Amino acid sequence: MKRFIAAMLAGTMIFSLAACGSQPSDGGVETTGTKTESTTSSEGTTATAKPVELNVTTTFAGEDGNAQNFKNAVKAWCDETGNTVADTSATSDETFKTRVTTDFETGSEPDVLFFFNGADANSFIKADKVVSIDEIRAEYPDYASNMNDNLIADSLVDGKKYAVPVNGFWEAMFVNKEVLDAAGVEVPGADYTMDMFKEDCQKIKDAGYTPIAAALGNIPHYWWEYAIFNHDTPENHVQVPAGIEDAASWVDGMLDIKELYELGYFPDNTLSATDDETFAMFVDSKAAFLIDGSWKVGGIVNACQSDPEDASTLDADKLANFTVTYVPGNGDRKATDLIGGLSMGYYITRKAWEDPNKRAAAVDFVSYMTSDELVPVFAQHTASALKNAPAVDESQFNALQIEAMDMMSGVTSLTGAVQDIFMGDCRVTTFDGMPEIVTGKLDAAEAVEEGLKLYHAQQ
Amino acid sequence: MKKKISVGSILVYFFLSIWAFTTIYPIIWVIQNSFKAKDKILADSFSLPVGDLFTTANYRKAFGNLNIFGAYRNSVFISMMVSLLVILLAGMAAYALARYCFRGSNFLYSMVVSAMMFPVFATIIPVFSMETSLGIVNTSSWWLTMLSVILPQVAGNLAFSIVVLSGYMKSLPLELEEAAYMEGCNAFQIYFKVIMPLTKPSFATVAIFAFLWSYNDLFTQMFFLRRPEMRTITRLLNELTSQEGTNYGLMAAAVTLVVVPVVIVYIFLQKYIIKGMTAGAVKG
Amino acid sequence: MGASIYKNKKPAIIFLIPAFLFMIVYLYYPFLQNIWNSFQNIRQLGSSGEGFLNPWYSNYVEMFHDEVVWISLKNTLIMMLVTLVGQVGIAIVLALMVDNITHGKHFFKTVYFFPIVISATALGLLFNLIFLYDKGMLNQILEKLGKVGLTDWKGEGIALFTMMLPVMWQYVGFYFVILITGLNNISDELYEAARIDGASTFQKVRYISIPLLHNVICTCSVLAVTGALKVFDLPWTMFPKGMPLKSTFLTGTYMYYHTMETKNVDYGSALAVLIVVLGIVLAKVVNAIFKEKDY
Repeated sequence: MKRFIAAMLAGTMIFSLAACGSQPSDGGVETTGTKTESTTSSEGTTATAKPVELNVTTTFAGEDGNAQNFKNAVKAWCDETGNTVADTSATSDETFKTRVTTDFETGSEPDVLFFFNGADANSFIKADKVVSIDEIRAEYPDYASNMNDNLIADSLVDGKKYAVPVNGFWEAMFVNKEVLDAAGVEVPGADYTMDMFKEDCQKIKDAGYTPIAAALGNIPHYWWEYAIFNHDTPENHVQVPAGIEDAASWVDGMLDIKELYELGYFPDNTLSATDDETFAMFVDSKAAFLIDGSWKVGGIVNACQSDPEDASTLDADKLANFTVTYVPGNGDRKATDLIGGLSMGYYITRKAWEDPNKRAAAVDFVSYMTSDELVPVFAQHTASALKNAPAVDESQFNALQIEAMDMMSGVTSLTGAVQDIFMGDCRVTTFDGMPEIVTGKLDAAEAVEEGLKLYHAQQ
Repeated sequence: MKKKISVGSILVYFFLSIWAFTTIYPIIWVIQNSFKAKDKILADSFSLPVGDLFTTANYRKAFGNLNIFGAYRNSVFISMMVSLLVILLAGMAAYALARYCFRGSNFLYSMVVSAMMFPVFATIIPVFSMETSLGIVNTSSWWLTMLSVILPQVAGNLAFSIVVLSGYMKSLPLELEEAAYMEGCNAFQIYFKVIMPLTKPSFATVAIFAFLWSYNDLFTQMFFLRRPEMRTITRLLNELTSQEGTNYGLMAAAVTLVVVPVVIVYIFLQKYIIKGMTAGAVKG
Repeated sequence: MGASIYKNKKPAIIFLIPAFLFMIVYLYYPFLQNIWNSFQNIRQLGSSGEGFLNPWYSNYVEMFHDEVVWISLKNTLIMMLVTLVGQVGIAIVLALMVDNITHGKHFFKTVYFFPIVISATALGLLFNLIFLYDKGMLNQILEKLGKVGLTDWKGEGIALFTMMLPVMWQYVGFYFVILITGLNNISDELYEAARIDGASTFQKVRYISIPLLHNVICTCSVLAVTGALKVFDLPWTMFPKGMPLKSTFLTGTYMYYHTMETKNVDYGSALAVLIVVLGIVLAKVVNAIFKEKDY
């Protein structure tokens, strides 16, 4: 794990052009996309093969910040190779996941899939419907050779690597400085602890603001993860406890959230509010802290633009109210140990691999999409797994993105989220049951035990 | 019918207007918010979009890189076909259930009612596998893809339509059918020449609902319509607005683009239906 | 039904076959699969079962012990009463009123239909903004009236009311349209005859409209009762996951929750079976009630 972290930080924090993907006209893709030498494996494969149609499904669609980047890249690839792509991408939600699973079940899976590498992928990996990177390398030795293998996630099923990652994510704490100023609280730094956090929360509450923007009845996920992490270490966090005896960190985590709830640091209606409502409180300077993912950088910037499409309408003063910092630490977890990583990647399906017409094209497509030139366009201020990351041009970024980069440069470790493994109905008692836990209707230890039981029953 | 203006009728108009207000205002609300930036909506959702509040950004985005007109074409084609097939099939079944008394007719009616209850989440996967084995799912053929959506949607709307149509047919007087029978018509002639014209208003109602449900049925469309050129308007705009679900301005614009054409069509259709309706059809 | 035309039952078969064939292939066969699924262990919608549960009926046992099932049944029952009295009731009143006025008939007929056209997502958003805690329309109005402090319309206790009001409102138009279609079927001559006999408007409604609407009202009641069992989108948009504290679940939303959210697909299937069984029973009850009261 140490090696993982070191490698991750050594040269993989990629910050590229494209301000949050909200400018589709950004030229980043076109300029890189036309380079024929972008992948070593493309030589000799595309020139001779007759044009094929690849079925590609990704989550780069709709409002995804990379939707336009993906479209441009696909077009460039098609122009270059003469192949065509049937792009059946859709926004990632439960229906989409169900659709992908169903596709594999019924044999109508795509040729190339960009999808999660956690428990969501278990069903089709178990059924041997996708090809592992090692198997591909046996024939195409340079496949994903520009990636640092240590950063490519192992499958939960067999420990092999399947998905070639592009862009990653992190979870950190966003801060509304206006509220902090009004309450006389400093912006937290790298040595922030839970005790300091509670002290600050009390000050903020006394000043008449809500300390924490979170909808515990709707999206308790971020607090769930960090509350548990605070009783773990970066080394052991991504392991689901074998039983309640091992789960002290989980129970203590739940109790921490309960304590914060009882102290009144969450919004008054945290049990009945939606995440949108509490996010609005944060943006409207009614709440001080928000733990959320890297995608919220775009959300906050958008909230500061009167025209979400037009970056020139950005209210810089309003944006200056916000910054992003580390998550209060505790015990063996430093504030700078964050949750994050690369949770998705490109799969090549067995169907495409065994189709002699499509094999080379599929490999070439993935190699193209994960090339040194394209990955930074997609990764932006999140992580990637590239061995050699190009330099960053800071002038292309807005204030919050730059602060996000500064924050990321001080990170001491990035750990995967244990909830990406802990999936399905085992979550019910501690996620959807969070309101019952914090109000004391359900005992935290019981809830954790029940969830763990269900989890292990599934394995 | 001439009437004097009484206190009673004023009251009636008063109540009707209040209800009308509650049904009209939401549409106005959605339209006015579609012209506001998303950060202004939470703060100011009930004021008119004038001055600083006004923006066309949501529409620019919606029209920007989306093939909206192709999506309308797909939507209308699917929903029209669904409506047509539903009234054709449901009408015949409803007639038989309303008029024929035979052993098992109660059972069949229960079958229809229970079919109305089947949640689409429970039936979609088997339907999908079935259509995959028929080879009509996920192909590059436009016609097959449309068919793959139309068929399950027809099935989904049949039960409701049969219940409504047979309820209406039951309340039709038998005299006309008897007269037709005396003149030597068989059951099919009676159905097509007597029952169908008489049931026209109810057919119209059912067709409208089938059209609307098919038009708004995102879940089925998500499963079967994958390629960009085959997306319907509902599917397309959902794709545009689904991420994080907080871009209310864009959402309002999307809803406007989905709803307004339907409302317009409905207003025209409504006129046509009323014109086509023969109030004195039972002249016998 | 003494007509001799319908003595020969053979044509009925031909009338029935196409629709029922369709329903069997697209609804009954999938639903049988759903019943089968409810005995299996399935962890993701779309993936196949991992063998039978032990014991195979354990989902149905669990249902009895699942507190939330009872909550959702209770809520659904309330919802049914609300739909019957509120939706169908208001719809009848509105339909009769509109039928009896001279001016603006078309206008009202058109606008009452609007709520059904707008998608549930948009309506959910609208009502969310009306009931918003800080500060939706209602709380703004209350504040202007001098109320101190905010009312949490989605909080415990009041949440059920906040959920049912929009659902009721939305579907009044639906029943209105069906009822007004039924009213159109009543011949003007009957009213004319009644008028000549000196009947008041109220008497015309009582002795002509309502009795002749009997079948249509029965249809509406069946639709209302079964509809309440599977109502899903608006409640789910406004109160995802039965917020707060799982107190607002309905059978429809609870089934969705297990199928799509918790990935307990087999349990969701069992809940779907429960919904259908209850639906059939209740539809029978409604039909029986209306049969007795033959006018």
